Amino acid sequence: MQLCTVTSDFPIDDRTIEACQRGDSEGFRLLFEVYKDRVYSIALYYFNGDEASAHDITQQIFLKLLTHISQFESRSEFSTWLYRMVANACLDRKRALRRFLSFDGSRVDKIPETRKSIEDKVIQREREASIRSAISGLRPKLRMAILLKHFEELSYDEIAVVLGCSKGTVASRLNRGHQILAQKLAHLRGDGAGGGTLEE
Amino acid sequence: MFKNHVTHNLSAYLHGELSADAAVTVQTHLSDCSSCRNAMEEVRFGEQLVSALQQVEAPESIWNEIHSASKMQDATKQRLHWPNRMIAAGIAVAFVLALGLFLHSHIPNVPRGDLASWEVASVRGTPRIGRLQLTGTGRLRPGDSLQTNANSEAEVRIADIGQLDLDPNSRIRLISSNSDLHRIALERGKMTARTWAPPRLFVVDTPSSTAVDLGCIYSCEVQRDGSTLLHVTLGLVALDFHGHETIVPAGAFCRTRPDGGVGTPYFDDSSELLQTALNYVDFGKDEVERGRQLDIVLREARPRDTLTLWYLTSRLREPLRAATVDRMAKLVPFPQTVTRSGVLTLDADMMDLWKAELERVW
Repeated sequence: MQLCTVTSDFPIDDRTIEACQRGDSEGFRLLFEVYKDRVYSIALYYFNGDEASAHDITQQIFLKLLTHISQFESRSEFSTWLYRMVANACLDRKRALRRFLSFDGSRVDKIPETRKSIEDKVIQREREASIRSAISGLRPKLRMAILLKHFEELSYDEIAVVLGCSKGTVASRLNRGHQILAQKLAHLRGDGAGGGTLEE
Repeated sequence: MFKNHVTHNLSAYLHGELSADAAVTVQTHLSDCSSCRNAMEEVRFGEQLVSALQQVEAPESIWNEIHSASKMQDATKQRLHWPNRMIAAGIAVAFVLALGLFLHSHIPNVPRGDLASWEVASVRGTPRIGRLQLTGTGRLRPGDSLQTNANSEAEVRIADIGQLDLDPNSRIRLISSNSDLHRIALERGKMTARTWAPPRLFVVDTPSSTAVDLGCIYSCEVQRDGSTLLHVTLGLVALDFHGHETIVPAGAFCRTRPDGGVGTPYFDDSSELLQTALNYVDFGKDEVERGRQLDIVLREARPRDTLTLWYLTSRLREPLRAATVDRMAKLVPFPQTVTRSGVLTLDADMMDLWKAELERVW
């Protein structure tokens, strides 16, 4: 598993979408490259590091995208639809996963690797595992709002459209989610738990 | 002292989502209210925790699997018109290998050599195989029924070709299982199947139709009156009723009734009005009312809903057929080689050509 840079750049334009709609495989490949890590990361953190779930959801999302992209008229409509699919797929998978785990409980719980020393890596992993575990313990609606805000940097209006709720509900879910995380992980206060501090 | 705490706006304030006036209000309030300042500190700390999460690179293998699966979907659609079974089967096998590799990576293997009986596991409660209560795992043999009650669920390996989840209050019966065909009856309740086999190897009989798996994820629900609701998540499923086949694509539902046959497929994101009206068009008895309900279907239809209209075309008589064709042509114009009169007379070649055009938006 490799880390990649979180970026707010959005190199996909309407022409790329149109190329995909015409069946242009290079256009679709570009679309895949731009979104695959975002989709994969949301699913990965939603499922507490379960790579099989993240893999399955990413595959499903892009297959559906491949077959239905012709419906979209604008880039904004496209991204909203994409993340709505991700949110729905995560919820569906969550329901189904309970059953799959009865056959295969050997879920691999890997975390991202860094280039730090082994000792730093261990500390980093423990912190990230705590954060990831706390996030996975949030109610699904709070969890998805937080992941969409963090990984996609979507506005509250955009998250509201993706999740099918009001902007006020988004604000409320993020408020609540962040407060719960702060309370659950109070022991990380002053321990370099902030975003930059953890990674630097 | 403070009548209006600002705790509900703290995340929005932190993320710059408030208007300038509202932001000033929050800022002013925070300077005077220790309770809200504490809450703000919690929100800020929670946000910092989340910001520690790093984006992870998706495995490259996903692209290869998508590429293979898309070939399979194309091949399966073409199979409906395409007589060259060998080529279609070859493409299907390529897909199956790719998808199978992936699915087997997180689903344990089924022991080979015992395809005639299927492994069953209790997911919750105590499902029953015949009279035997199942607390762990067991085997389902041809002729056996697997039944769940309100408090139980089960999971079944479909030989070595897939997996089936049985919801509460459901019953299936294994009819036969060999290398050419695996067949069950869903007698009541709901099941979800995932398969990674070539098309048409897994068949589900319900009281009102037969669902033939063309790959690879779908659910089927039989209600008390014997009617069935099929929902396809990925791939395609063929519904057969007295030799007439309806192909239901990914993202679509289709209802069947013992007395009314197979209904018309519709996409799960179509409007509720369309879905309700379509149900009457499919199964209603009053011809005048059917016409009224068809008007609603046509009015509500989006380009994507031409899936529904295409199937309705051959099921309706004039003048309803003409109204349907005209609405469809407005949503997706006829290709050059297709004419209105040809479609109205259900010319097979023209119907196929137009369907190929419509499938671009399905």
